Amino acid sequence: MIEIKNLHKSYKMGSNSLHVLKGIDFSVAEGELVAIMGSSGSGKSTLLNILGMLDTADSGDYVLDGVPIENLNETKAAQYRNKFLGFIFQSFNLINYKSAMENVALPLYYQKVNRKERQEKALNYLERVGLKQWATHLPSELSGGQKQRVAIARAMAAEPKVLLADEPTGALDSKTSYEVMDLIQKINDDGNTILVVTHEEDIAEMCKRIVHLKDGVIVEDKKVEQVRASAYV
Amino acid sequence: MFDRDIWQEIFHSIRNNKLRTFLTGFSVGWGIFILVMLLGSVNGMQNGFTKQFNDDATNSIFIRPGTTSKAYAGFEKDRRIQLKNDDVAYIKKSFPNDHEFISGRLYKNTSARYRSETGTYNVQAVHPDFQAIEKTIVTKGRYINENDFRAGAKVAVIGRKVAEDLFDKEEAIGKFVEFNNLPFRVIGVFIDEGDDNAERNIYAPLTTYQKIYGNTDEINQIALTYNANYDLTKALEFSRRLETILKRRHQVAPEDQSGIRIFNYAEAFSDISTFTGGLSFMSVVVGILILIAGIVGIGNIMVFIIKERTKEIGVRKALGAKPSQIIKLVLLESVFITAISGFVGLLFATGLLALIGPNLDFPAFSNPSVSFSTVVIATVILVGAGLIAGFIPALKAARVKPIVALSDK
Repeated sequence: MIEIKNLHKSYKMGSNSLHVLKGIDFSVAEGELVAIMGSSGSGKSTLLNILGMLDTADSGDYVLDGVPIENLNETKAAQYRNKFLGFIFQSFNLINYKSAMENVALPLYYQKVNRKERQEKALNYLERVGLKQWATHLPSELSGGQKQRVAIARAMAAEPKVLLADEPTGALDSKTSYEVMDLIQKINDDGNTILVVTHEEDIAEMCKRIVHLKDGVIVEDKKVEQVRASAYV
Repeated sequence: MFDRDIWQEIFHSIRNNKLRTFLTGFSVGWGIFILVMLLGSVNGMQNGFTKQFNDDATNSIFIRPGTTSKAYAGFEKDRRIQLKNDDVAYIKKSFPNDHEFISGRLYKNTSARYRSETGTYNVQAVHPDFQAIEKTIVTKGRYINENDFRAGAKVAVIGRKVAEDLFDKEEAIGKFVEFNNLPFRVIGVFIDEGDDNAERNIYAPLTTYQKIYGNTDEINQIALTYNANYDLTKALEFSRRLETILKRRHQVAPEDQSGIRIFNYAEAFSDISTFTGGLSFMSVVVGILILIAGIVGIGNIMVFIIKERTKEIGVRKALGAKPSQIIKLVLLESVFITAISGFVGLLFATGLLALIGPNLDFPAFSNPSVSFSTVVIATVILVGAGLIAGFIPALKAARVKPIVALSDK
């Protein structure tokens, strides 16, 4: 699903150049649930940005679902993001004046799906995250865990190839974190490919594979025995 | 354009910034209000001027004698020039194709009496042609005709006010009025819309008055209309020829401006249209300058809104919004605010003009109003203004990196 070869990225800081990614080789197969771990400065955020087409690499190849991701202009990147990727953010990033359903429907809006179909799909995904009865509520009326579930529904609404979760439990307490991880695991069980960036060991343990980054290189890449979050809920 | 989601977002951001939107919108509305009021006022001045002149034929020329200011041809300066019947005949003969109507004009005051009613009025002794020059509207009876003129008949056409003063409700036509104790038969009553003073005038045949006042052939003024087909250049050229020939006839120095004065309405009209044209231009410039302040204001508020919503825009882009979709959103919002507030200003201005305009009627200011085309142009300006105001903020929004949505730790 994801093929990365010899990825390099450096940032210019004045006269110095900060080499953040120093040759990453990495691939993810369909249906995997991968945790990307590392301390701050390890390059995991940069890697996620490049995977999410929010940033471009200096060199190296990135192939997503057989499509080489290169020479992207803004419009094309937007199209690819919409088609291939679903984002789950640490701070949910729901649009505060739109109801839960409208938030979920937003990626579909950018796919030019008509309004009625959009609402149907959005409701369907809200049901899958267990929030159908909250469809008309604004984000301000939802708890943190509920917000993240709405965000997950939104990420899935466009039926992307890969879900990218950036510290999805970073703003949640541990009980809610497990609930969210439980949901992510269930989505993964349905065959969706998910990448989770986290620095929490217990969250990483709930994935099927852990990739450790340190100083811009992968230091460890191991498959793990998945800890089911449902055991803690 | 008619996408519910876009409008929902526009209304949301307006709702969230009510006061700021109102204040900025106010500046645009105010700009349009002033622009329309200025144009309306210029229009009012134009109407006022036109009304002043429409009393008389717009192609009339008046020749007035004065006193010379230069010694010329053996004459000393300060000589009084006197026009005579000959001059009228001479012009008639010399410019058969250039003039339409021509009349001498002799002014006298008279105290008029009908039974016990008396009053003092101006009498203008004229040729029958004068009706066409002054555009006198006779409502009852008739104007002076050629027979009256040739015979020197003691007949008079009196103004509506004169008839009211002397006859009250009695029928004036056919009655005899005494002008300075001489009986004149009233043959007509005339009106002059919008000028009560003109209705205190009396017209009598020139020949009659010249006979009464010492069998003279002197006149005070010559009035004529030039060929109605003439354009401004030809009309001016004609009045210059008139001037030259009359100055030669009366031995006035060609450069002497006060010996014989020729007043050509064409000239006055062209002066006025240049003047009001200049005023229109000025008011458009001033109005647009004020509007620019409004546009800058809207641009400002949009930049602010985008700054506030940077993160939201980043999220949208992460979810697949194209830069063009973001630009569209911002431009539409800007055009919407500009158009709505501008329309309110436009509505107020046209409403105010429609309300008070018809009631305003001063000599140089009458019925200020705006034409439909002005309104259409103002609307186009508004939409354009909104686009300009939204342009820079929209580009700014389109440049927001979706990465801001992630880097929020």
